[in-house]
Amino acid sequence: MELRQIWTLYVHELRSALRERSIVVFSIIIPLVLYPGLLWAGLAAFSFVEGQAERIALEVGVHGLPDRHQSLLDTLDVADRLSAQEWVGSSEEGREEISRGGLDVLVEFVPPDDEGGALEHNFRLRITYHGARDRSRTAREAVESVVDSYREGWIDEARQELGVDAAVWADFRVIQDDLTTAEEGTRFLLGLMVPFLTLIVVALATFYPAIDATAGERERGTWETLMTVAAPRANVATAKYLYVATLGAVGGLLNMIALTLSLRWIFQPVLGAEGQDMIQGGIPLGAFPIIAAGTVLLGLFVAAGMLIFAVFARNFKEGQSMVTPFYIAVILPAIFLQSPDIEFTTALALAPVVNVALLIREAIMGSIPPLQSALTLGSMAVCVALSVVFAQWVMRREEVLVGSQRGGLGGFLRRRVRGRRREA
Amino acid sequence: MSVVPVRTEALSKVFYDESRGEVRAVDSVDITCSPGEIFGLLGANGAGKTTTLRMLSTVLRPTSGQAWLMGHEVRDAPERVRENLGFYSASTALYPKITPRETLRFFARVNRYPRRRIEARVDELIERFSLESYADTRVEKLSGGMKQKVSIARTVAHDPPVLIFDEPTVALDVLNAIELREIIARLRSEGKAILFSTHVMSEAEQLCDRIGIIHHGAILATGTLDQLREATGRHYLEEVFVHYAGMRGKIGT
Repeated sequence: MELRQIWTLYVHELRSALRERSIVVFSIIIPLVLYPGLLWAGLAAFSFVEGQAERIALEVGVHGLPDRHQSLLDTLDVADRLSAQEWVGSSEEGREEISRGGLDVLVEFVPPDDEGGALEHNFRLRITYHGARDRSRTAREAVESVVDSYREGWIDEARQELGVDAAVWADFRVIQDDLTTAEEGTRFLLGLMVPFLTLIVVALATFYPAIDATAGERERGTWETLMTVAAPRANVATAKYLYVATLGAVGGLLNMIALTLSLRWIFQPVLGAEGQDMIQGGIPLGAFPIIAAGTVLLGLFVAAGMLIFAVFARNFKEGQSMVTPFYIAVILPAIFLQSPDIEFTTALALAPVVNVALLIREAIMGSIPPLQSALTLGSMAVCVALSVVFAQWVMRREEVLVGSQRGGLGGFLRRRVRGRRREA
Repeated sequence: MSVVPVRTEALSKVFYDESRGEVRAVDSVDITCSPGEIFGLLGANGAGKTTTLRMLSTVLRPTSGQAWLMGHEVRDAPERVRENLGFYSASTALYPKITPRETLRFFARVNRYPRRRIEARVDELIERFSLESYADTRVEKLSGGMKQKVSIARTVAHDPPVLIFDEPTVALDVLNAIELREIIARLRSEGKAILFSTHVMSEAEQLCDRIGIIHHGAILATGTLDQLREATGRHYLEEVFVHYAGMRGKIGT
């Protein structure tokens, strides 16, 4: 393998690509600007919609209200966003009204059970709501909060009647203490966002270059020109592969840097000016080498996969349809990684793509488990090597070279097997 | 003893088609081409011209037989073959996003032209093909005629001794086709061995020193135009071609 020739071919691919608007947009502009921008826009829109929704009063009906608890109705009515009035219809009619959307929540006083009845004026409440309706769910939460406070006040009155000391009573309260620092909170947010977006960005950043380097060459008529140069096919394949992988890895790294730098700005719509102090720091510097290694390996692996699928395409349209299933397969794990409960086990450290995403998450959180990290980097390196060998083998086949192959990778493999059988 | 630039022996190519079974696209082709000679492969569409030339350029692998370019066998030393070869066809386009100067530099470099002489070679080609006014303009912005010139300059960027032109005039207008033929004639005078495929009889008459008539993958006759006329008793190449193709048809029946 002649490194100088590979370099010549690689620089040539890169030069052409960096003058192609769509590649620059998908591999550089989007990771750098669009995703942080989209996140900001998404959160701003969310914040706006929430603000609009907060202006709409939530209708609460109170049914069977005893005289002793009249003040609950007043408390509900003055509570933020709630508009409460006594429901004069039957319980059944109230349910029907909720189903129709005219009422959000029905609060019903029902007789206490036997033990509860021992205390005078004790009460039980049934809150009826519509779980599939956002307004109704929100109203239920607001009503619950008001009822909890009211209940506490009522219990406090009962305590006084029973002569229980307030200090003793207070001991039963649950005290919560969150040890999370602003830095840790920021890392938690980055740990959720960065792996998810890295997968998407690497897949997207390799998608167009992979098609451009194969089907694009055929469509432009430059494929045969390239096949007649004095470079071994392996050198051509290696240069194309390195070019696609470079854009994938660069896209992933740019996205990570852009997210870190713009995190305060992204969350500004939901946190407001006062909440900005909650965003502190970013990805720990010590984690960068392992994150960079993981992203580069991810770029190398995804690039090989994309090329394997794209090389059979005779034009851009075919290329898009052939590569899309692999693209989806790459970004699919991102959906499951949104749960912070997923543990980075040794088994998951052997699962390609998922392992890199989890490694990035752990590194951002500040804990780099040595065994899982070694397994991730090792297994990804093996996957990269195997996929590169396979990609080179595919790209050396005559039917792939001259574009006489019909169909994608599946059809190619089936024909190879049939050809072997014929020869046998 | 000097090496024959192009030589084939019983060169054959069989494709397997799922609906048609085995298709013998090229059948035992024997041709040679000497320095300063244009050898024309004359045949109808689908006769096997492009497949033959693709085997010589190592894009396709022969099923049987052998072919040598500058003494290098196409299967044993494909890179050495391509190093000694410039390949031009209607399907060998240029990279649209780079300039003619970058194109020439890239092809000279990747085809292993001596590095220290690359810049001088690029300047020489720009002057020789009169590319000065657009040498630094992206190819995508050039006209068809300009692109054609750059494409030929690209083919000879590494100064190969053998050139293959596969139906080069097929997509060109009359004036550009004439200019291309003049360039090819000049390259012959410089001592290049040139393989030229066409289905246009007049083109073969004007340009080729020797002609091989190819039909259904097989070479039916080879010789100078005068030799072919003499052998068939026909004057026009078109009649000569029909004579051989017709004979083959009768033999076939």
